[in-house]
Amino acid sequence: MQASLEHKYDFEIVRWFTIMSVVYLVAGAAIGVYIASELAWPFLNFDNPYISFGRLRPLHTNTVIFAFGGCTLMATAFYSVQRTCGVRLWSEKMARFTFWGWNAVILLAVLTLPLGFTQSKEYAELEWPIDILIAVVWLSFTFNFIMTIATRKTSHIYVSNWFFLGMMIMIVYLHVVNSLAIPVGLFKSYSIFSGVQDAMIQWWWGHNAVGFYLTAGFLGIMYYFVPKQAERPIYSYRLSVIHFWSLMFGYVWLGAHHLQYTALPDWTGSLGAAISIAMIIPSWGGAVNGMMTLSGAWDRLRTDYVLRFLIIALAFYAMSTFEGPVMALKTVNALSHYTDWTIGHVHSGALGWVAGISIGAIYHLMIRLYHTEMFSERLISFHFWTATIGTVIYIVAMWVSGIMQGLMWRAYDEYGTLAYTFVESVDAMHPYYAMRAIGGMIFLLGAVVMLFNVLMTVRKSVVSGSLAKARAVPAAA
Amino acid sequence: MNSLLEYFETDWQAMTASDWVGAILTVVIFLLMIVAYFQVFRPKNRERLEARKHILFEDDERDGDDDGGR
Repeated sequence: MQASLEHKYDFEIVRWFTIMSVVYLVAGAAIGVYIASELAWPFLNFDNPYISFGRLRPLHTNTVIFAFGGCTLMATAFYSVQRTCGVRLWSEKMARFTFWGWNAVILLAVLTLPLGFTQSKEYAELEWPIDILIAVVWLSFTFNFIMTIATRKTSHIYVSNWFFLGMMIMIVYLHVVNSLAIPVGLFKSYSIFSGVQDAMIQWWWGHNAVGFYLTAGFLGIMYYFVPKQAERPIYSYRLSVIHFWSLMFGYVWLGAHHLQYTALPDWTGSLGAAISIAMIIPSWGGAVNGMMTLSGAWDRLRTDYVLRFLIIALAFYAMSTFEGPVMALKTVNALSHYTDWTIGHVHSGALGWVAGISIGAIYHLMIRLYHTEMFSERLISFHFWTATIGTVIYIVAMWVSGIMQGLMWRAYDEYGTLAYTFVESVDAMHPYYAMRAIGGMIFLLGAVVMLFNVLMTVRKSVVSGSLAKARAVPAAA
Repeated sequence: MNSLLEYFETDWQAMTASDWVGAILTVVIFLLMIVAYFQVFRPKNRERLEARKHILFEDDERDGDDDGGR
């Protein structure tokens, strides 16, 4: 039975990463709510540089992307690679190094970013010594994953592992190239690239952090956990193969769409936009593949709240992978760029897709890792609704404020001068900034409830002895 | 020359070594993508590829049912 799997597989490291991912979800969302509140009510900056928006914002992005997202990816990758390959992790020690190393990176981010140590590169703010640590820890994660696959007992490598592996290899390449810098001190360095080339490298990394880390990695989660939770095989394996290769080939071209109407050559932006539009096809193919897995079993959504998280995440994935390419088009970009519409788009992907699929996977894992039911099914349901409603309020607020900003900035009067000052556009945003903060608070409430539910499930497992019993079951012959 | 041809005009003499490497790699990968689409959607390969989606549930058969040991 499943209990003997405690001997067969290394679930301990998966438990560590799983619990930490929930802790970081709460921490990252809390910082997000605070900085959203700072924008709505600026007195919250308290004239204190350490908690000002400019310093806490990268802490928020690093916490949600690398702390929450990273721990989720490591938990799910280490779990699913063992289950699909039928073997224990290649190296337990290396997995523990990955855990402590990754958490050390997060701790260093918490210490350095509020102090103002930054490379000023988006999603790559951490200074060079931490960049080196990230590379070493990520390589240990990648190497352990590859070696586990290499020692597998199954003939075929299941598609979720392809997505995880694609992410790992590309992130090594992207992180190392984007972080190339000349140190001038322990806490200061300068990029080896300059001018428009620096901008292009930055967004080559920036969009591929989205494409490979926040999309391919989380699609690995989708291809394992959606079929497992639905108890049905993926709708089309052929579609998953095409989904994989199209993403791997297509995503690397998109970065230039972040630099429309800049010093970047015009053709580069056009190419970025054209490939962005083409990417709708594989992205929607993947989303449909995940959703159609429920074909013939849609009634499960009425009772299975974990499955609801996974499927609503796919709906957000489909929505944001349509919205993104549209925003890449030059005519739309002329209105949307530099406005809050971008923030809304990012959060429909981050809260709806990434957090949604992660939360579903974490609930799925908790039951299997602690050998007990969740402490409360009703709290999962409550979490589902707070996460969904909070996300929708957030992105609607940002759509309205973003489009309004874009229209105000480009409005001219009859004499050809700007109709509004920048400050007037900021003033007009206030109700939407307050609405965004409220949406974030609702999402945060759900995350806190999840943490409570997860910790109570751990407690329940300890009190009932379910994990201890599972460990006591002799290993299967 | 019409504007469309002008848009796609390339100064071949100005191509550097890295331009050529990038251009050749891109065309090769594009052709490989066509091969991948052809192979994946070829009716002959359907059964073999689709059989792989059941691999996900082989661990249940191997290790016992996936009920979390409850």
